[in-house]
Order: sequence, then C-alpha cells, then structure tokens
Amino acid sequence: MDTANTAFASAFAWTRRLFLLFLCCAYSIPAGAVGTAVGTVIENTAVVNYDLAGAPLTIQSNTTTLSVAERINVTVTLQSPQVPVAPGDSARALLFTVTNTGNGTEAFALAIDSLIAGDDFDPTPAAPAAIYFDTDGSGDFNAGDQPYTPGAEPDLLADQSISVFLVNDIPVGLANGLTGRSELTATSTTGVGTPGTVFASAGDGGVNAVIGSTGGEAQDTGEYLVSDVQVSAVKSQIIDDPFGGNEPIPGATLTYSIVVTVETAGTATASTVVDAIPPFTSYVPNSITLNGAAISDSIDADQGEFDTSGTPSVVVRLGDLTQAQGPQTVEFQVVID
Amino acid sequence: MKILMSVILIALATTAAAQGHLDVRTTVQKQEVFVNEEGKSETRLVPAEVVVPGENVIYTITFRNVSAEPADNVVITNPIAENLMYVDGSAFGPGMEILFSVDGGKTFATAGELNVVEDGEVRKAQAGDFTHVRWVMQNDLAAGAQGTARFAAILE
Repeated sequence: MDTANTAFASAFAWTRRLFLLFLCCAYSIPAGAVGTAVGTVIENTAVVNYDLAGAPLTIQSNTTTLSVAERINVTVTLQSPQVPVAPGDSARALLFTVTNTGNGTEAFALAIDSLIAGDDFDPTPAAPAAIYFDTDGSGDFNAGDQPYTPGAEPDLLADQSISVFLVNDIPVGLANGLTGRSELTATSTTGVGTPGTVFASAGDGGVNAVIGSTGGEAQDTGEYLVSDVQVSAVKSQIIDDPFGGNEPIPGATLTYSIVVTVETAGTATASTVVDAIPPFTSYVPNSITLNGAAISDSIDADQGEFDTSGTPSVVVRLGDLTQAQGPQTVEFQVVID
Repeated sequence: MKILMSVILIALATTAAAQGHLDVRTTVQKQEVFVNEEGKSETRLVPAEVVVPGENVIYTITFRNVSAEPADNVVITNPIAENLMYVDGSAFGPGMEILFSVDGGKTFATAGELNVVEDGEVRKAQAGDFTHVRWVMQNDLAAGAQGTARFAAILE
C-alpha cells in the first residue's frame, strides 16, 4: 500500500441526503380555559335586611335563573416547525393541534388547502387521504395513523385536543430555498357564523348553541422548505498492529475517521453520525473525538456517546451544519478481537 | 261602614306583614345589539335566560317599602354566583354605599380596603375575588318609597 498508515485501505465515500430531523414542540392547554360547562344553572337571590319600628327584619327577593348555553369555539395550532423537504418527496407531514375551546362537546370537520397564496410552490395533498390523526400519539406520521373520514368527525369534549397531520407530496424540479404552504381548517359541524349567531336547540342536551369569537371555525398554516442539502461522509481507517506494523491481526487497533462535509448551500439540521462497532472488534473506551476534542462515552450533555442500548455504536451529534463550517471529523478506535 | 273600612285596613295590614314590609324583586338582563329604524346598531337590555361564557349579565334589585312606616338600616346583599365574575366598577345604587366581601359574605368593606392572601402573599382584592356585593342605604326608606341596586357580572 502506498501510505504506511493506510495499509488496510478500505476508504470509501458516499454521498447521500442526510436525514433531516425535527423536534415536535411539547404543548399543553391550561385546564378550565373554556368556561362554564354547558347546561350549568345559575340562580341568584338578593337578601334585604332592614329595621322597622326598631325590629330587625329580613326578606329575600325572588330567585332568577340563568342557564348556560353551548358556546362553539375552536383553535387550530401548527405544531411543526418549517419542514425541510426534497423535490419529489412523498407523504411529508405537518402536525397541527385542533382544540375544542368551547364549553360543550363538539365535532369539527377538517379540510386541507395546499393552494395558498404567497408561497413559492403548491404541495400536492397526498392521495387517497391527506388528513390523518396522530392515532399512536407519537407526533410523527407513520403507518399506524388513521386517515380522517369526512362525516366521521370525532367528538371533542370541552378543552379536548386532537393531533392532526396534513400530508402532502412535494413536486419535482424545485430549487433549494423555495417554500410551499398547506392549511388545515377545522369547522364546527353545528355550523359557522358571526359571533353570537344562535343555533336553536343544537347544543349539548338540546340547549342553544351560540357561535363564539372564532366564528365556529379556525385554521393554521404550515410550511415546507425545499432543502435538498447534499452532505458527504468519508470514512477511512488506520491500523496499528501490536508489532509496530499495519496488519489487521487480533490485537491490532483500528482508528476510524469519518469526515462529514456539507457540499451545497443550505443547512443540514440536527446532523448526527451513527456508526456501529464492526463485528469481531471491541470499542476502545473513551476514544471518541470530534475535530480532535474528546467526547465522553457516557450519555450526557456533550455531543456524543458510546451507545450500547442496541447494536453498540458511536453517536456524535454535529447539530445544524452548513458549508461554511467546513469538514467535521469524528474519530474513534476499536481493537480486533 | 266605618267598621267595614277598619276591617279592610286590618286585612291589608295583615297581608303586608305576611309578605314582609318590603317588596323586593330581582331581574337579570343582558345586552342585545339590534338595528334601529335608522339602520344603526344600538344595544338594549333584554331578559337573560340563556347565556354563554364571556357574556355579561346585569342584575337589578328593586325594593319598595310597602309598609306604612319608614324602614331603617336597609342593607341589600347579593352573592356573586360561582361561575360569575363581578365586572369591576359596575355596582350602582343611588344613595347607597357599596361594599364587597371576599370571604363568602362574612365581612364587608369598600373595594379599596379589601385584601386577599394568595400564595402566602397579601395583595389588593380584585373584581374576580368578590363573593358578594352589598348596598347600604344612607337614609331611611320612607313608606311607599323605592330604590334600585344594580351590578354586572361576566359568565366565566
């Protein structure tokens, strides 16, 4: 071999689209934000105390009665940050939360609109279904999630939320940096109208339903960003055998080097190097470095670890990478068994 | 004839005593927006029977002295129902001092004098803390005279 330290010359290179990860925001709705429950009866009686001819007396008024009607209110809130996509991607999901902010039980019809003005391209709603519920509660769109069927809207209790995905395909031939939007609308199945509109006897238990401040419907819009970042990762290894040579024999130490480089414009978000320890080798404790700086084996606040929870692997999180940051070099060592 | 008149007067007096010497009525109303004959939006008070969260209601208490003697120390007390919140500054009553309670009607004071303890810290009471409104008449309520007390609350 031409170079002393690369006798076991298996350097290889590949270029691929780095998986772009995103985190879902945790969210919560304060309890009791929706107001007095539908059907509540509020009575009022005034009491008057007075003296007449020196004698203290008390009298009560009649009792008035108010009953609480159903107020229809809904909010739709985008949960996904801007979703990076590549041209030609299929079934890319945006996550929303639909919350019944009324005071009774209500169902909401769901609709997708991907022809939004003001963006650069129109995503294509996935067929045969483009609206799904996050059935498994994972926050990620996956096979277990059930499609929404118009006419079979689930009832939401007052203050209850449901997670909904809009699923779009991304057209081919799009340049990096272009954005496309998709909007989810939730509409009360009782009806819509200006605030104060009354639907007689349409509320829970036959009380009136009254349209609240949101008009009986709400929408929010999510955005896709074409971010077809090309990232290269080049892996090489150096062998040092126990006899001062470079033979891959038992007891020899292999130093792996993985160089990650962003090759195009754009940001490779949450880039992570995961490399399994090869069979018939053992990881050398505390041998991970990133750009020459040590990274501990334990799972802690630093950028990586030796993860033994599954296949023993070296994990190094590079974060959001751009071309400007230059090559990132991860190294670690194993010993041949 | 004189005897008959006396009998009738006694009967009337007995009826008044049975019902109390004051006639007290409460109504609850809400504002309704309507379009007047000139095509402009106006609001008017209509009886409130059904309300939705966020809506204001106005309670009006009218009281009349139906006895033949003046009533002294007239005090009207109205609880603020659990799901209602007093609308700041809304209590009104001609010739009456307006007091509030923050302890379920045990003690009363003017709005500015009341404090509440929250998370171990004393702070000034706010409209949402009030549990009762009280109107204290400054003068006697003469025989046949009437008065009005009013406040607004919002349905939570």
